[in-house]
Amino acid sequence: MRLRSRLALATAAAALPLVLALVWWDAQAQQRAAETALIEFTRSHLEREGWHARCEAAPETWSADGAPDGPRGPRAPDEAEAHGAAPHEPPPGAPPPGGPRHRRPAQFFAYDEALGSRNPSAPVLSEGLKQSARGRDVTVLPAPWRSATVEVLLRVADGQGPCAYLLARGTTEPWLGAILPTTRIWITPLVVMFAAALLALGPVIARIRRLTEAVRRSALSHYTEGVAVVGDDEIAELARAFDGAARDLRVELGEKDRREQALREFLANTTHDVMIPLTVLQGHLAGVRADLASGKPIEPATLAAAMDEAHYIGALIGNLALAAKLDSDSPDLHRGTVDLNALVTRVIARHRPVARQLEVELESALPGAVVSVDADVTMLEQAVSNVVYNAVRHNQPGGHVAVILDTLGTERFRLRVLDDGPGIPAGELARLVERGFRGNAARTRAPNGQGFGLDITRRVAELHGLTLSFDRSQDGGLQVDLEGACGAR
Amino acid sequence: MTKRVLIIEDDEQLGAQLDSHLSKAGFATTWLKAGRELAPDELQGVELVVLDLMLPGLHGFDLLKRLRAFSDVPVLVLSARSDTTDKVRGLRLGADDYLTKPFWPEELVERVRARLRRPVLERAGALQIGALRIDKERRTVSVEAAPVALTRLEFDLLVALAERAGSAVTRQALAQRVLDPDRDGDERTLDVHVSRLRKKLGPGNLIETVWGIGYRLASGRDE
Repeated sequence: MRLRSRLALATAAAALPLVLALVWWDAQAQQRAAETALIEFTRSHLEREGWHARCEAAPETWSADGAPDGPRGPRAPDEAEAHGAAPHEPPPGAPPPGGPRHRRPAQFFAYDEALGSRNPSAPVLSEGLKQSARGRDVTVLPAPWRSATVEVLLRVADGQGPCAYLLARGTTEPWLGAILPTTRIWITPLVVMFAAALLALGPVIARIRRLTEAVRRSALSHYTEGVAVVGDDEIAELARAFDGAARDLRVELGEKDRREQALREFLANTTHDVMIPLTVLQGHLAGVRADLASGKPIEPATLAAAMDEAHYIGALIGNLALAAKLDSDSPDLHRGTVDLNALVTRVIARHRPVARQLEVELESALPGAVVSVDADVTMLEQAVSNVVYNAVRHNQPGGHVAVILDTLGTERFRLRVLDDGPGIPAGELARLVERGFRGNAARTRAPNGQGFGLDITRRVAELHGLTLSFDRSQDGGLQVDLEGACGAR
Repeated sequence: MTKRVLIIEDDEQLGAQLDSHLSKAGFATTWLKAGRELAPDELQGVELVVLDLMLPGLHGFDLLKRLRAFSDVPVLVLSARSDTTDKVRGLRLGADDYLTKPFWPEELVERVRARLRRPVLERAGALQIGALRIDKERRTVSVEAAPVALTRLEFDLLVALAERAGSAVTRQALAQRVLDPDRDGDERTLDVHVSRLRKKLGPGNLIETVWGIGYRLASGRDE
């Protein structure tokens, strides 16, 4: 429902019962006043000479008209008497001074002691009414609903015979006038108030419409446009709230755009990073097929390289997926108790087939008792996997890689990965743990190469509160230590 | 005796590869190509289930949950997802192990074998590893029933390796266990003791040197 019709309805709903109550109250007062006036008038009529005799003479036709002077009290009403011919005789005097409105004069009917009337036009009284009225001086007859008629029944003093009671019939007209003014002028302020309320709403509605338009415009411009704030009332507050929301949205959208851009870049880089080893893998496979076609024996080295390339793609995609997770503003870690022995076993099992192809011996040693840590198993496994694969991949045939899980005291664990590969120059060792460092040594063709995997490991270690350190192994290779606290959280 | 392995994998190619590699590795395989509820008698004699999670029909997790209602058969879950929640859920539902795609066939076979491997037989304080028999109570050692005389230190060394036969044990762990630092010296002394022990155990080189780690007693299994 529109605002205006709602207001109109609310106003009407509030005003109507009030008006009705006032009118009802007025009608009540009018009724009571008319009754009093009629009784007074009838009494004064009873005191007049001669009417009784006339009545007794012709009770079946006797009637008299008199006009009470308005409900507030009769003032020397003229009496007119019927002389048998006409039951309703107009009052001889001037019309009652109640105003220009027509008012019917009071009418009398005679009744006997049994409250029966010989006058055929007299109202017939019900038995119940007769019962209650008998013997009483004054009885007000119940007025029918919505009727302007007032009837009172008065006992004539020492009255007997056909004129023992006198029923006077009057009217409460005009309709209003007891508490409400008789003219309908009082409706005017009501109507004016009603109109004023609706009119006052006009500018409010206009401002709300303007605000709606402004918010729509702001939304259309993807919230680059703000919402203008005019004034300092509730509508201005609403505008301010919209403006604030638009500003927040602007920031959010900017952030989202930035993230989307980063994601696009990430996807492009990923594609690029994966395409290189995939191309190499295709090259190896094509070489194998060519060898087969020309009847040459397949080079085991070619097959080993192909396997390594496929393995590398798998590791790379795992790292890229993890990088996406780590790059988010709040990487959600699914921490839980991780069995490090089992984790190392899985990592070794994963890389052993490739290590075998590359003729690198990959061995591990685990403590007798299970070492548990509180970590995200996927992240930690990828981190360990990167270090191990790094050691395998950058070794030479006949080389070794050893993975040793140990406890230091009862509180801490150390996972050491040793190799006898070419190692990393001392100058670069310290920088390996720096954020985003990519090794200079051409240990891989892929642009993100080894540095990428180790960087992921570094970030996972950081996230888990583990210490990652690089050193030269005894045989000149690389020694990577991952240390942290044992135990489930 | 061939061990029965049930493979539940919807991908035709991957399923065929799993089937072929496990068969070649000496397992009797049954390949189920869709996820559905398993009846208890279908698992009769099955020693291990290889279960892919993403299955048409019944999802791997649901299948696992219902299977666990009546069977304790080891389940190795294959998961394409690298999500931790998935792994944790799989283990909570009763999976024994998981393997994340991509994996090498050897990796799968090794994991299946590891799952089915019986623990080293140790009865009444005696260890039997291939031809090697160690009686821990009487502190005697024999190779192919021929007794071998060992010193106290050599015996302790052999037991330390034998208890974890097939796995490498670090020099440091061995030294801590068998050497008295005041009397027997450091880790380098250990190498001397090992070489003596090797000589006494005879040909076949039961004790292998593991680079960067220490030593390993060959498990004596033919794998």
